[in-house]
Amino acid sequence: NSSSITFNKTLLKHAAVSQPGFLGLKSNVKSSELVSSRRKRVNKNKKKNWNRHSDIHDVEDFLEDIRHQERTTGGLLSEKPDDSLFFLDVEAEPVKAEKGKRRVQRPLRIDLILQHDSMVPAPKNVTAYQQPNAKKLRRIAQRAEQLAAKGVLPRRQRHLLSRRPAEKTVKKAEANNNPDRDFYAMWGEEKVTDSADPWYLQQTGKKLVQRPEKLNQKPSVLPAVEVIAPGGSYNPDFLSHQALLQEAHDVEVQKQKQEDKLQRQLAFRKEDRATEVQTIISAVAACLYEDEDEAAAPNEDEADSALGAIAVAEKKTERQRKKEKAEKMKTQQQQASRRQTERQQQLFQLRSIKSSIKQQELQTKARQMKRKARQEAQKALPRRLGKLKYAQDLEVQLSDELAASLRQLKPEGSVLKDRFKSLQKRNLIEPRERAKFKRRLKVKYVEKRAFRQIT
Amino acid sequence: MGGTQKKKFERGSATNYITRNRARKKLQLSLPDFRRLCILKGIYPHEPKHKKKVNKGSTAPRTFYLLKDIRFLLHEPIVAKFREYKIFVRKLRKAYGKTEWSAVERLKENKPTYKLDHIIKERYPSFIDALRDIDDALCMCFLFSTFARTGKCHVQTIQLCRRLTVEWMNYVIASRSLRKVFVSIKGMYYQAEVMGQLITWLVPYQFSHDHPTDVDYRVMATFTELYTTLLGFVNFRLYHSLNLVYPPKSELKGENEDEYAMDSESYPEVSFYLFVSHTEQPKRPDLEKVEAREKEQMQLETQKKIFEGLKFFLNREVPRESLAFVIRSFGGEVSWDRSVCIGSTYEATDETITHQIVDRPNVDKSYINRYYIQPQWVYDCVNAKVLLPVEDYFVGVTLPPHLSPFVEEKDGDYVPPEKLKIMALQRGEKPGADLPEDDDDDEEEENDDDDDDEEDEEENEDDEDEAEEKNLKEMEKQKSQGKSLQVKVTPGKMKMENPVRLEQEEKAEEKRLAIMMMKKKEKYLYDKIMFGKKRKIREANKLAAKRKAFDDTEKAKKKKTKN
Repeated sequence: NSSSITFNKTLLKHAAVSQPGFLGLKSNVKSSELVSSRRKRVNKNKKKNWNRHSDIHDVEDFLEDIRHQERTTGGLLSEKPDDSLFFLDVEAEPVKAEKGKRRVQRPLRIDLILQHDSMVPAPKNVTAYQQPNAKKLRRIAQRAEQLAAKGVLPRRQRHLLSRRPAEKTVKKAEANNNPDRDFYAMWGEEKVTDSADPWYLQQTGKKLVQRPEKLNQKPSVLPAVEVIAPGGSYNPDFLSHQALLQEAHDVEVQKQKQEDKLQRQLAFRKEDRATEVQTIISAVAACLYEDEDEAAAPNEDEADSALGAIAVAEKKTERQRKKEKAEKMKTQQQQASRRQTERQQQLFQLRSIKSSIKQQELQTKARQMKRKARQEAQKALPRRLGKLKYAQDLEVQLSDELAASLRQLKPEGSVLKDRFKSLQKRNLIEPRERAKFKRRLKVKYVEKRAFRQIT
Repeated sequence: MGGTQKKKFERGSATNYITRNRARKKLQLSLPDFRRLCILKGIYPHEPKHKKKVNKGSTAPRTFYLLKDIRFLLHEPIVAKFREYKIFVRKLRKAYGKTEWSAVERLKENKPTYKLDHIIKERYPSFIDALRDIDDALCMCFLFSTFARTGKCHVQTIQLCRRLTVEWMNYVIASRSLRKVFVSIKGMYYQAEVMGQLITWLVPYQFSHDHPTDVDYRVMATFTELYTTLLGFVNFRLYHSLNLVYPPKSELKGENEDEYAMDSESYPEVSFYLFVSHTEQPKRPDLEKVEAREKEQMQLETQKKIFEGLKFFLNREVPRESLAFVIRSFGGEVSWDRSVCIGSTYEATDETITHQIVDRPNVDKSYINRYYIQPQWVYDCVNAKVLLPVEDYFVGVTLPPHLSPFVEEKDGDYVPPEKLKIMALQRGEKPGADLPEDDDDDEEEENDDDDDDEEDEEENEDDEDEAEEKNLKEMEKQKSQGKSLQVKVTPGKMKMENPVRLEQEEKAEEKRLAIMMMKKKEKYLYDKIMFGKKRKIREANKLAAKRKAFDDTEKAKKKKTKN
């Protein structure tokens, strides 16, 4: 029915279009065709005109329609059974899944929609299956199969198998303080020459720089470990213990002396403070001498000024200059003669001169020896290497701290500190102090609000 | 006048020195890294003679290094490692911050490390140089091995130090090189003679752990790093010189690993059985045919074996390691309670034990055939090089003072009486053979040994003279009183003339004559010398008198407490 309907529709369309002066939707119709004009006569017997001027659009349309039906719905609609086109719409019942039996799953709607229902099969793309050199490759594969069946491997595999396996030795760098580290013979018993040629080392830049000789000298003459005095034994001999206590006592006394000295220097002197008697006397004296001073003072001033004025005004006269010159000459002559006589007399003073020279020499020698001794002593002292000075404290236990037995011994001082001080003493490191905590910004103290209310 | 004027501080000592900060900048290192490098390489700051010149006119205290030393430091390959480490730290911190844990793992696996072997070789080109510097190394290693393993400094360092110190002690035991021990309030001082070098080191007590805050731990850790490497190599060489296997393996390690979970127990000092590859006796050098030398050697050999044949047992309260070390290095056998540490060979119930070392005020259970003594006996015997009488060191007895073996008395110096006694023992004399002056000592059980036991013979003679004088005085007194003297004519006694004494008298006469005949100048010099000598003797006498006074007061106190 629908096909007939469509057929009628096309007929109608055809009729409508063929009428002269019909305005279709397409606007690109040539204006010449709009104007109804007499058709030009065409000879239909010529082959040329069979294609051009034959009107077969009705047949074409019909066939097109049929093809369309086949393409879209998979066959002519008129030939289709009723069931495929129509269905009876009955009240839908809820579908229950039967237990026990495995219900066949209904196919998805999307699958139904996407089913291949046209009669026309999809065209096959031949180029997609084409392979260049297909025959050659096939023959090669066959040959390889035959060889493999025989047991002969291709060359590449043979090379792979014959290659040596890679040695996976991951050398992990050992830390210096690893407790299980190994040591080896460093100072070889026999004279081992360097394994590499020195010229090679030098040229490749691998030669190690020689250590300067001065660095091998020790920075101090002190021994590395200084044993404590015999009074430092855990069960000391009476006198040695007393000697050690005496030393510690001396150190403390020195410290105390320094402090006292400072206190004395800063103290207020009694002489500066005037007593009552002194103040009275000075006050009275001031009153007494006040009047005299006032009288005397101005006179003196005038006299001084007068003298000063006179001194400037006068010039030296000729006579005075001559006198001065004569005097000068005289003194010079006197001095010259004195020197002459001295020189002559020195001949007779040779012995005393000799003795005095000897004395001086002895003195210089003594001073030299002292200086040398002081230098030697200086070598044993710790050098001043930084900001802080070296400070050492003696370890000593007082008589009541001495232990009765080794079990009850309480060690004095720590070896760590002792070693640290020893390193400083031997000039290996500079004396150091723990770094103080310095604040960059000042801390502001503010009372809590609760406290502010109270106070 | 041609040329420019000389500018100040451009030549001479001012250009030889460089300040610390400048040196640091030249090396492009941070300050702690610079310090570490200087310590490792052995570069020390110097104090210039003329500070003002070097400091360009100012006297501010600065640390100066020699410019040549710093230039030498530039060639050190470790400097590159320090820089790598700095970058490693930076990358690690970034990875932590971004919480990229895989990156953290990867970085940690490839942490840059450095080795100090070439530095040791450079600083100590020969073995003897290394031995000379080993004192410091030993002290540091012993100190670090007593630290607690809290993680403040690397636990690995502490373990390595422990291992190296134990190896060293084993070497000393095997080579019998220990010579002196001194127990002081600071720690224990040991002295050993290794290959002709006298090596002294200090071992702190195990139970003293107040870590002072003003010590720079980084500096000490760097020193220890260097010294552990040095000590390791030295140990290797020493072990090979004795034909022993290095590193020594412990036989007991396998058995008792289940019982002792702590890793620290795996390096106990005395449980090492040293595996010997060749003959055990070290090769002795050919003795020269000098009798004195031979004698010395014989003496030394006997002194090395004073504890041979003796079996010791240590109670729980005595310092086990120290005593075991000392006893073993003189040939004795030692053991302790099983629950204290691994390595105990026999129990307290063993019958063959000769000495048991106890430090308590009293002992509850006692065996008959063994001596119960205090630990000071061992140390004093080692110092005296001879077995001292055990009676002075019994449990509960006031011990004689522990003298320092590091003190060498010269001729005129004061020698404490205990030392005199020990010297007498060394010579082979027995104390108490001379006249006892105090009768009280016979009554008292306490060993208040008299001081006058070892007085010279002159003292005895003086006593005799005094006795004669006393007699004469008495006789005179009686005569004056008018009593008839009970004097009879008795046959004369022949006075035996001591030939030795005669010789001595002659010599003294000659000396006096020679002194009288000296010239004034020479006499003056001689007087000066003698004055100096006599001063020493006078001081020694003073000290002896002081000591006597003290002893008398002590005796009086004891008498009072007794009564």
